Amino acid sequence: MDVQALINEQVTGNPVVLYMKGSPQFPQCGFSARAVQILNACGVNKFFSVNVLENPEIRAGIKDYANWPTIPQLFVNGEFVGGSDIMTEMYQEGELQKLLEGLADAA
Amino acid sequence: MMHPKTIEDLLREGLPCEHLTVEGDGHHFEAVIVSAEFIGKNRVQRQQRVNAVLKGHFDTGVLHALSMKTLTPEEWSAQRG
Repeated sequence: MDVQALINEQVTGNPVVLYMKGSPQFPQCGFSARAVQILNACGVNKFFSVNVLENPEIRAGIKDYANWPTIPQLFVNGEFVGGSDIMTEMYQEGELQKLLEGLADAA
Repeated sequence: MMHPKTIEDLLREGLPCEHLTVEGDGHHFEAVIVSAEFIGKNRVQRQQRVNAVLKGHFDTGVLHALSMKTLTPEEWSAQRG
């Protein structure tokens, strides 16, 4: 399967998907760690995560998929939401909590 | 390693800004970008506009960690109260 098709399958097949460096238990980048913390703060403790450090093809392909050059990247219900700045802002405004309502333990 | 001033210059060249600050230690940067071009754009579209200006530097990996706040002039003056 080509990598864009694989990413498409991941983001449409799971309600909450986080592409990150490291794992939710052991993030290997401060921005990825922040993204996990924010999801947890929104009550989402189980979600589909992809460690791009272990998947070089996805690491390269994800930048084109959403036309977004950096990791982490959050997708909710197949839609690209943003990176860690946008997650932080949306969390501070209460928008992310709304978006994630009902998606706790969604993995 | 990049100097914050380099990023600032690239942004000024590629995007009309009413206000722009870039701070950083050479690896991680924080930018506040105020531009009328953000009017009518959502958060993702705003960052995509900024990233388009810096694209080559993300691609080479020189720049990998830029946090940014993207505001319209109106949002900027509201935030300053």
